[in-house]
Amino acid sequence: MKKIIVAGLILSSALFGAEHVIDQKGKTFIPHAITVAVGDTLVFKNSDPFAHNAFTDNAANEFDTGMQAPGNDISIKVKAAGVFNVECAIHPNMLLTVTAK
Amino acid sequence: MILRLGLSGIIVAMMASSLVATEDMSKWLRPAEVPQPADNKLTPEKIELGKLLYFDVRLSSSEKVSCATCHHPKQGWSDLVPTPKAVGHEGAVGPRNSPVVLNTAYQNTQFWDGRAKTLEEQALGPIEADVEMNMPLDVLIPKLNGIKGYVALFEKAYPGEGLTEATLAKAIASFERTVVSTISPFDKYAMGKKDAISKKAQKGFELFKGKAHCIDCHDGFNFSDGSFHNIGLKDGELQGKELGRYLTKRRAAWYGVMKTPTLRDATKSAPYFHDGSAGTLHEVAHICGNGGRYKHNVKNKSTFMIDRELTKQEISDIVSFVESLTGPDMKLDIPTKFPQ
Repeated sequence: MKKIIVAGLILSSALFGAEHVIDQKGKTFIPHAITVAVGDTLVFKNSDPFAHNAFTDNAANEFDTGMQAPGNDISIKVKAAGVFNVECAIHPNMLLTVTAK
Repeated sequence: MILRLGLSGIIVAMMASSLVATEDMSKWLRPAEVPQPADNKLTPEKIELGKLLYFDVRLSSSEKVSCATCHHPKQGWSDLVPTPKAVGHEGAVGPRNSPVVLNTAYQNTQFWDGRAKTLEEQALGPIEADVEMNMPLDVLIPKLNGIKGYVALFEKAYPGEGLTEATLAKAIASFERTVVSTISPFDKYAMGKKDAISKKAQKGFELFKGKAHCIDCHDGFNFSDGSFHNIGLKDGELQGKELGRYLTKRRAAWYGVMKTPTLRDATKSAPYFHDGSAGTLHEVAHICGNGGRYKHNVKNKSTFMIDRELTKQEISDIVSFVESLTGPDMKLDIPTKFPQ
């Protein structure tokens, strides 16, 4: 039975991609660098008591989360392979580097 | 290589490290180490050359305006003649209040709208701007190359690199990196001298970190986290330079946003805000603490701008605290003679 569940999880991950949580806390992305697979999902949390934003101008993966209120989660699917930076439009000192394979 | 700037910086660093074990007040103290790019490490020759250039009116087309005209040490590195908006070439009024140069070495973006990342990128903009120094670089560089004294000083500071736009920017940026805050009464308080600021200012500090939420943007030793906000100084559609960082890219979150300014030495650099529309720190604290000047019809107003329902007494306490962030002027010999 356990083997079936594990196999199911592996299959599910292969089909739908893994989730990677990125927290926005203390005006930093945690972690500040991450390696993912194309098709995986970045889940942006906001643990700060004020708004944040996450965007990238990388053409193949372009996204902008808009104003993200405290406590909200926003999911972004990684579309293409490459290395790209994610920034916060409010706090330019925040930087996340995503390596997508 | 790291250049440590002056005795004050060393004292701050030593005392900050001794404080960490007891109370984490070190975040409020200026790091003695000034960030420097790998290709423009500070040297005394670069700093001295940059200082001469910074104060030399021959860098403007009228030969009446220098960098110091709008960023003068006697006015907290802001306009020598305080005005809401900068006055430059032949009395031309610029679109914004002059930002202070103090502690810009520690910033990751320059200008109110953050359009330059480094001091080197920033340094030449005001020289060329028609409402500032109005000096085309293709005129200025040959002009400076015709001044033997400058050619010699550039060779000393940047051996073999010549007197070019790049070395001009590097030299001015090098001087600007030395423009740093000194030890204020609040710094002494943060170092453990509990009577260095008044009880009123101490109340203000608690409000600053607590009820008033000033710290949400004015965070860290420079009392700015470098964040960008539209704080609602104007309602309706914004025009021209009022658009702020939106001018660098039409990103919705950047409509009308400007960089959070430092509060260090703020008592010296009135008027305030990017449009110079507040004459006093009381007015600033009232606007920022109570949800912005305009409550409605402000496009992309920062969600940080919440009415904290501050009382007059609380605003007064916060201002007392901000006043305690003013230190003595940094030691500086303003040049009176220039290379010939």
